[in-house]
Amino acid sequence: MSVLGECLVAFLFGSIVGLLVQRSRFCNTAALRDAMLFKTYRNTKALLVSMMILTLGFTGFMTIGEGKAMHFDVGLNQVVGLFLFGIGMVLAGACTVSTWVKAGEGNFGAVWALLFTFIGMFLFSLLWSFMYWPPAPAAMTGEFNLEALQLGYANASTLQEKTGIPAIYFGILQFLVLFAIYKAIRRKEQRIENEIT
Amino acid sequence: MEFFKKTLDPNIALAIIAFFDIFLFLIVGAWTVGGGETMMTGLIAKFFMGDAINNIPFWQLVFKPDAGYWKIYISLGMLFGAIVGAVASKEFFIRFPRRLSEWVMITIGGLLMGIGIRLAFVCNVSTFFGLTPQLNLGGYLAISGIIAGAWVGSLIYKKSLGM
Repeated sequence: MSVLGECLVAFLFGSIVGLLVQRSRFCNTAALRDAMLFKTYRNTKALLVSMMILTLGFTGFMTIGEGKAMHFDVGLNQVVGLFLFGIGMVLAGACTVSTWVKAGEGNFGAVWALLFTFIGMFLFSLLWSFMYWPPAPAAMTGEFNLEALQLGYANASTLQEKTGIPAIYFGILQFLVLFAIYKAIRRKEQRIENEIT
Repeated sequence: MEFFKKTLDPNIALAIIAFFDIFLFLIVGAWTVGGGETMMTGLIAKFFMGDAINNIPFWQLVFKPDAGYWKIYISLGMLFGAIVGAVASKEFFIRFPRRLSEWVMITIGGLLMGIGIRLAFVCNVSTFFGLTPQLNLGGYLAISGIIAGAWVGSLIYKKSLGM
Protein backbone atom coordinates (compact mmCIF):
# COMPACT_ATOMS: atom_id res chain seq x y z
CA MET A 1 0.00 0.00 0.00
CA SER A 2 1.22 3.53 -0.78
CA VAL A 3 2.23 5.95 1.99
CA LEU A 4 -0.82 8.09 1.18
CA GLY A 5 -3.09 5.04 1.37
CA GLU A 6 -1.63 4.05 4.75
CA CYS A 7 -2.12 7.57 6.10
CA LEU A 8 -5.72 7.70 4.84
CA VAL A 9 -6.58 4.32 6.39
CA ALA A 10 -4.99 5.45 9.67
CA PHE A 11 -6.92 8.74 9.62
CA LEU A 12 -10.21 6.96 8.90
CA PHE A 13 -9.58 4.49 11.71
CA GLY A 14 -8.61 7.30 14.10
CA SER A 15 -11.77 9.25 13.20
CA ILE A 16 -13.98 6.25 14.03
CA VAL A 17 -12.12 5.76 17.31
CA GLY A 18 -12.35 9.45 18.23
CA LEU A 19 -16.08 9.53 17.53
CA LEU A 20 -16.85 6.30 19.42
CA VAL A 21 -14.66 7.16 22.40
CA GLN A 22 -16.19 10.64 22.59
CA ARG A 23 -19.74 9.28 22.45
CA SER A 24 -19.10 6.44 24.92
CA ARG A 25 -16.91 8.39 27.36
CA PHE A 26 -14.52 5.46 27.44
CA CYS A 27 -11.26 6.18 29.21
CA ASN A 28 -8.33 3.81 29.64
CA THR A 29 -7.12 5.74 32.69
CA ALA A 30 -10.53 5.32 34.32
CA ALA A 31 -10.47 1.60 33.45
CA LEU A 32 -7.55 1.18 35.85
CA ARG A 33 -7.96 4.12 38.27
CA ASP A 34 -11.68 3.68 38.95
CA ALA A 35 -11.30 -0.06 39.50
CA MET A 36 -8.55 0.56 42.06
CA LEU A 37 -9.91 3.67 43.73
CA PHE A 38 -13.69 3.58 43.45
CA LYS A 39 -14.36 -0.11 42.73
CA THR A 40 -16.37 0.82 39.64
CA TYR A 41 -15.75 -1.16 36.46
CA ARG A 42 -17.64 0.50 33.59
CA ASN A 43 -14.46 1.15 31.58
CA THR A 44 -12.61 -1.94 32.81
CA LYS A 45 -15.30 -4.24 31.37
CA ALA A 46 -15.21 -2.44 27.99
CA LEU A 47 -11.42 -2.78 27.92
CA LEU A 48 -11.73 -6.52 28.61
CA VAL A 49 -14.39 -6.95 25.90
CA SER A 50 -12.14 -5.36 23.29
CA MET A 51 -9.11 -7.37 24.43
CA MET A 52 -11.10 -10.61 24.13
CA ILE A 53 -12.16 -9.79 20.55
CA LEU A 54 -8.67 -8.64 19.59
CA THR A 55 -7.00 -11.71 21.08
CA LEU A 56 -9.11 -14.06 18.97
CA GLY A 57 -8.83 -11.84 15.87
CA PHE A 58 -5.08 -11.26 16.03
CA THR A 59 -4.07 -14.80 16.98
CA GLY A 60 -6.51 -16.20 14.41
CA PHE A 61 -4.85 -14.30 11.60
CA MET A 62 -1.36 -14.89 13.02
CA THR A 63 -2.07 -18.63 12.83
CA ILE A 64 -2.30 -18.39 9.04
CA GLY A 65 0.63 -15.97 8.82
CA GLU A 66 -1.44 -12.85 8.20
CA GLY A 67 -1.33 -9.45 9.91
CA LYS A 68 1.41 -7.02 10.79
CA ALA A 69 2.45 -7.88 14.32
CA MET A 70 4.53 -5.42 16.35
CA HIS A 71 8.14 -6.54 16.16
CA PHE A 72 10.77 -5.32 18.62
CA ASP A 73 12.76 -6.62 21.56
CA VAL A 74 11.25 -6.24 25.00
CA GLY A 75 12.70 -6.09 28.47
CA LEU A 76 12.95 -4.13 31.68
CA ASN A 77 12.23 -0.87 29.84
CA GLN A 78 8.61 -1.92 29.23
CA VAL A 79 8.01 -2.40 32.95
CA VAL A 80 9.72 0.82 34.05
CA GLY A 81 8.38 2.89 31.15
CA LEU A 82 4.76 1.88 31.64
CA PHE A 83 5.17 2.26 35.41
CA LEU A 84 6.06 5.93 34.83
CA PHE A 85 3.30 6.19 32.24
CA GLY A 86 0.76 4.70 34.68
CA ILE A 87 1.57 7.32 37.32
CA GLY A 88 1.49 10.04 34.67
CA MET A 89 -1.87 9.12 33.20
CA VAL A 90 -3.58 9.09 36.60
CA LEU A 91 -2.05 12.46 37.52
CA ALA A 92 -2.96 13.96 34.14
CA GLY A 93 -6.43 12.37 34.29
CA ALA A 94 -6.09 11.11 30.72
CA CYS A 95 -4.18 8.56 28.67
CA THR A 96 -2.95 8.81 25.08
CA VAL A 97 -6.47 8.33 23.68
CA SER A 98 -8.41 10.55 26.05
CA THR A 99 -5.94 13.44 25.73
CA TRP A 100 -6.79 13.64 21.99
CA VAL A 101 -10.51 13.08 22.57
CA LYS A 102 -10.77 15.58 25.43
CA ALA A 103 -8.74 18.07 23.40
CA GLY A 104 -11.36 17.62 20.67
CA GLU A 105 -14.06 18.51 23.22
CA GLY A 106 -12.35 21.82 23.97
CA ASN A 107 -10.59 20.72 27.18
CA PHE A 108 -7.45 22.86 27.46
CA GLY A 109 -6.11 20.68 30.29
CA ALA A 110 -5.88 17.82 27.77
CA VAL A 111 -4.05 20.06 25.28
CA TRP A 112 -1.64 20.99 28.08
CA ALA A 113 -1.11 17.28 28.90
CA LEU A 114 -0.40 16.59 25.22
CA LEU A 115 2.08 19.45 25.04
CA PHE A 116 3.97 18.10 28.04
CA THR A 117 3.82 14.55 26.67
CA PHE A 118 5.65 15.89 23.61
CA ILE A 119 8.13 17.74 25.85
CA GLY A 120 8.66 14.55 27.89
CA MET A 121 9.37 12.63 24.69
CA PHE A 122 11.85 15.25 23.54
CA LEU A 123 13.61 15.23 26.92
CA PHE A 124 13.87 11.45 26.72
CA SER A 125 15.32 11.72 23.22
CA LEU A 126 18.15 13.82 24.69
CA LEU A 127 18.70 11.33 27.51
CA TRP A 128 18.66 8.38 25.07
CA SER A 129 21.29 10.10 22.96
CA PHE A 130 23.67 9.85 25.94
CA MET A 131 22.89 6.35 27.21
CA TYR A 132 21.69 4.54 24.02
CA TRP A 133 19.26 2.43 26.06
CA PRO A 134 16.90 0.76 25.40
CA PRO A 135 18.56 -0.50 22.19
CA ALA A 136 17.64 1.20 18.92
CA PRO A 137 15.68 -1.00 16.47
CA ALA A 138 18.81 -1.66 14.37
CA ALA A 139 20.67 -2.91 17.47
CA MET A 140 17.93 -5.35 18.52
CA THR A 141 18.88 -9.02 18.22
CA GLY A 142 15.57 -10.75 18.98
CA GLU A 143 17.43 -12.84 21.55
CA PHE A 144 17.94 -12.73 25.32
CA ASN A 145 20.49 -10.03 26.07
CA LEU A 146 21.33 -9.63 29.76
CA GLU A 147 23.75 -6.75 29.22
CA ALA A 148 21.02 -4.64 27.59
CA LEU A 149 18.35 -5.96 29.99
CA GLN A 150 16.40 -7.34 27.04
CA LEU A 151 14.46 -10.60 26.93
CA GLY A 152 14.22 -10.75 23.15
CA TYR A 153 11.12 -11.12 21.00
CA ALA A 154 8.19 -13.46 21.60
CA ASN A 155 4.56 -13.46 20.54
CA ALA A 156 1.82 -15.81 19.31
CA SER A 157 3.70 -16.47 16.05
CA THR A 158 6.97 -17.42 17.78
CA LEU A 159 4.97 -19.66 20.16
CA GLN A 160 3.46 -21.39 17.11
CA GLU A 161 6.89 -21.81 15.50
CA LYS A 162 8.50 -23.21 18.65
CA THR A 163 5.71 -25.53 19.81
CA GLY A 164 4.01 -26.45 16.55
CA ILE A 165 0.68 -25.60 18.22
CA PRO A 166 -1.45 -23.13 16.21
CA ALA A 167 -1.36 -19.59 17.67
CA ILE A 168 -5.15 -19.49 17.92
CA TYR A 169 -5.06 -22.13 20.71
CA PHE A 170 -2.92 -19.82 22.82
CA GLY A 171 -5.32 -17.02 21.89
CA ILE A 172 -8.30 -19.06 23.10
CA LEU A 173 -6.47 -19.67 26.38
CA GLN A 174 -5.91 -15.93 26.87
CA PHE A 175 -9.53 -15.26 25.84
CA LEU A 176 -10.71 -17.62 28.60
CA VAL A 177 -8.53 -15.88 31.21
CA LEU A 178 -9.89 -12.46 30.17
CA PHE A 179 -13.44 -13.83 30.17
CA ALA A 180 -12.93 -15.22 33.69
CA ILE A 181 -11.80 -11.76 34.88
CA TYR A 182 -14.85 -10.21 33.18
CA LYS A 183 -17.19 -12.71 34.86
CA ALA A 184 -15.55 -12.11 38.26
CA ILE A 185 -16.16 -8.37 37.87
CA ARG A 186 -19.81 -8.98 36.88
CA ARG A 187 -20.30 -11.23 39.94
CA LYS A 188 -18.81 -8.54 42.17
CA GLU A 189 -21.08 -5.89 40.65
CA GLN A 190 -24.14 -8.10 41.12
CA ARG A 191 -23.20 -8.73 44.75
CA ILE A 192 -22.98 -4.97 45.34
CA GLU A 193 -26.31 -4.40 43.50
CA ASN A 194 -27.97 -7.04 45.69
CA GLU A 195 -26.58 -5.46 48.86
CA ILE A 196 -27.99 -2.07 47.84
CA THR A 197 -31.46 -3.46 46.99
CA MET B 1 -29.82 11.99 15.45
CA GLU B 2 -30.18 9.57 18.39
CA PHE B 3 -26.47 8.64 18.26
CA PHE B 4 -25.50 12.17 19.33
CA LYS B 5 -28.15 12.48 22.04
CA LYS B 6 -27.37 9.51 24.26
CA THR B 7 -24.11 8.19 25.70
CA LEU B 8 -23.03 5.05 23.86
CA ASP B 9 -22.45 1.85 25.84
CA PRO B 10 -18.62 1.60 26.10
CA ASN B 11 -18.80 -2.19 25.62
CA ILE B 12 -20.40 -1.64 22.20
CA ALA B 13 -18.02 1.20 21.33
CA LEU B 14 -14.93 -0.80 22.23
CA ALA B 15 -16.23 -3.92 20.45
CA ILE B 16 -16.63 -1.88 17.23
CA ILE B 17 -13.16 -0.37 17.69
CA ALA B 18 -11.70 -3.86 18.21
CA PHE B 19 -13.37 -5.02 14.99
CA PHE B 20 -11.80 -2.17 13.01
CA ASP B 21 -8.47 -2.64 14.80
CA ILE B 22 -8.32 -6.18 13.40
CA PHE B 23 -8.67 -4.73 9.88
CA LEU B 24 -6.00 -2.14 10.67
CA PHE B 25 -3.75 -4.98 11.90
CA LEU B 26 -4.16 -6.71 8.54
CA ILE B 27 -3.52 -3.56 6.49
CA VAL B 28 -0.84 -1.52 8.26
CA GLY B 29 -0.51 -2.68 11.88
CA ALA B 30 -2.46 -2.58 15.13
CA TRP B 31 -3.73 0.62 16.77
CA THR B 32 -1.08 2.63 18.56
CA VAL B 33 -0.72 6.26 19.61
CA GLY B 34 2.72 6.70 21.20
CA GLY B 35 4.63 6.16 17.94
CA GLY B 36 2.64 8.83 16.13
CA GLU B 37 3.09 11.27 19.01
CA THR B 38 6.85 10.65 18.97
CA MET B 39 6.99 11.35 15.26
CA MET B 40 5.00 14.55 15.80
CA THR B 41 7.51 15.53 18.50
CA GLY B 42 10.33 14.95 16.01
CA LEU B 43 8.62 16.99 13.31
CA ILE B 44 7.91 19.87 15.74
CA ALA B 45 11.53 19.74 16.96
CA LYS B 46 12.76 19.76 13.34
CA PHE B 47 10.54 22.76 12.60
CA PHE B 48 12.11 24.75 15.43
CA MET B 49 15.66 23.37 15.30
CA GLY B 50 16.14 22.82 11.57
CA ASP B 51 19.13 20.63 10.68
CA ALA B 52 20.42 20.90 14.27
CA ILE B 53 18.09 18.00 15.11
CA ASN B 54 20.49 15.74 13.23
CA ASN B 55 22.93 16.26 16.11
CA ILE B 56 20.61 14.32 18.42
CA PRO B 57 21.25 10.62 17.66
CA PHE B 58 17.75 9.56 18.81
CA TRP B 59 16.19 11.35 15.86
CA GLN B 60 18.54 9.54 13.48
CA LEU B 61 18.67 6.05 14.96
CA VAL B 62 15.23 5.54 16.52
CA PHE B 63 12.77 7.98 14.96
CA LYS B 64 13.80 9.83 11.82
CA PRO B 65 11.23 12.65 11.42
CA ASP B 66 8.89 11.70 8.58
CA ALA B 67 5.51 13.35 7.90
CA GLY B 68 4.43 10.26 5.94
CA TYR B 69 4.46 8.04 9.05
CA TRP B 70 0.93 6.54 9.18
CA LYS B 71 0.67 6.44 12.97
CA ILE B 72 0.57 10.26 13.12
CA TYR B 73 -2.75 10.20 11.28
CA ILE B 74 -4.43 7.92 13.82
CA SER B 75 -3.98 10.66 16.44
CA LEU B 76 -5.13 13.40 14.07
CA GLY B 77 -8.12 11.24 13.13
CA MET B 78 -9.00 10.76 16.81
CA LEU B 79 -8.91 14.52 17.30
CA PHE B 80 -11.12 15.03 14.23
CA GLY B 81 -13.60 12.31 15.26
CA ALA B 82 -13.82 13.73 18.78
CA ILE B 83 -14.47 17.26 17.45
CA VAL B 84 -17.23 15.92 15.18
CA GLY B 85 -18.79 13.97 18.08
CA ALA B 86 -18.52 16.85 20.55
CA VAL B 87 -19.89 19.49 18.15
CA ALA B 88 -22.75 17.28 16.88
CA SER B 89 -23.79 16.39 20.42
CA LYS B 90 -23.37 19.99 21.64
CA GLU B 91 -20.69 18.89 24.10
CA PHE B 92 -17.92 21.14 22.77
CA PHE B 93 -16.93 23.69 25.41
CA ILE B 94 -13.65 25.48 25.94
CA ARG B 95 -12.69 24.72 29.53
CA PHE B 96 -9.57 25.19 31.63
CA PRO B 97 -8.33 23.47 34.79
CA ARG B 98 -9.42 25.68 37.70
CA ARG B 99 -6.86 25.06 40.43
CA LEU B 100 -3.09 25.48 40.35
CA SER B 101 -2.73 21.95 41.72
CA GLU B 102 -4.54 20.61 38.62
CA TRP B 103 -2.11 22.43 36.32
CA VAL B 104 0.82 20.99 38.27
CA MET B 105 -0.57 17.43 38.19
CA ILE B 106 -1.33 17.62 34.46
CA THR B 107 2.14 19.01 33.73
CA ILE B 108 3.93 16.30 35.72
CA GLY B 109 1.54 13.66 34.37
CA GLY B 110 2.16 14.71 30.76
CA LEU B 111 5.92 14.66 31.22
CA LEU B 112 5.85 11.20 32.83
CA MET B 113 3.64 9.88 30.02
CA GLY B 114 6.04 11.19 27.37
CA ILE B 115 9.14 9.82 29.08
CA GLY B 116 7.41 6.52 29.88
CA ILE B 117 6.22 5.94 26.30
CA ARG B 118 9.68 6.49 24.84
CA LEU B 119 11.44 4.42 27.48
CA ALA B 120 9.04 1.52 26.94
CA PHE B 121 8.65 1.87 23.13
CA VAL B 122 4.93 1.41 23.78
CA CYS B 123 1.97 3.34 25.16
CA ASN B 124 -1.19 2.14 26.91
CA VAL B 125 -2.96 1.67 23.57
CA SER B 126 -0.30 -0.58 22.07
CA THR B 127 -0.16 -2.45 25.38
CA PHE B 128 -3.88 -3.26 25.62
CA PHE B 129 -4.97 -3.12 21.96
CA GLY B 130 -1.85 -4.37 20.20
CA LEU B 131 0.87 -6.24 22.06
CA THR B 132 -1.14 -8.22 24.61
CA PRO B 133 -3.76 -9.52 22.14
CA GLN B 134 -0.80 -10.63 19.97
CA LEU B 135 0.48 -12.51 23.07
CA ASN B 136 3.65 -10.43 22.87
CA LEU B 137 5.84 -10.79 25.95
CA GLY B 138 6.20 -6.99 25.98
CA GLY B 139 2.45 -6.66 26.53
CA TYR B 140 2.57 -8.61 29.80
CA LEU B 141 5.64 -6.69 30.99
CA ALA B 142 3.92 -3.40 30.10
CA ILE B 143 0.66 -4.40 31.83
CA SER B 144 2.54 -5.22 35.03
CA GLY B 145 4.21 -1.81 34.85
CA ILE B 146 1.07 0.18 34.06
CA ILE B 147 -0.99 -1.48 36.81
CA ALA B 148 1.73 -0.76 39.39
CA GLY B 149 2.05 2.80 38.07
CA ALA B 150 -1.70 3.40 38.08
CA TRP B 151 -1.83 2.13 41.67
CA VAL B 152 0.93 4.54 42.79
CA GLY B 153 -0.73 7.32 40.77
CA SER B 154 -4.07 6.55 42.43
CA LEU B 155 -2.50 6.87 45.88
CA ILE B 156 -1.12 10.29 44.94
CA TYR B 157 -4.46 11.27 43.36
CA LYS B 158 -6.34 10.10 46.49
CA LYS B 159 -4.06 12.17 48.70
CA SER B 160 -4.54 15.23 46.50
CA LEU B 161 -8.33 14.84 46.83
CA GLY B 162 -8.00 14.48 50.59
CA MET B 163 -9.67 11.04 50.47
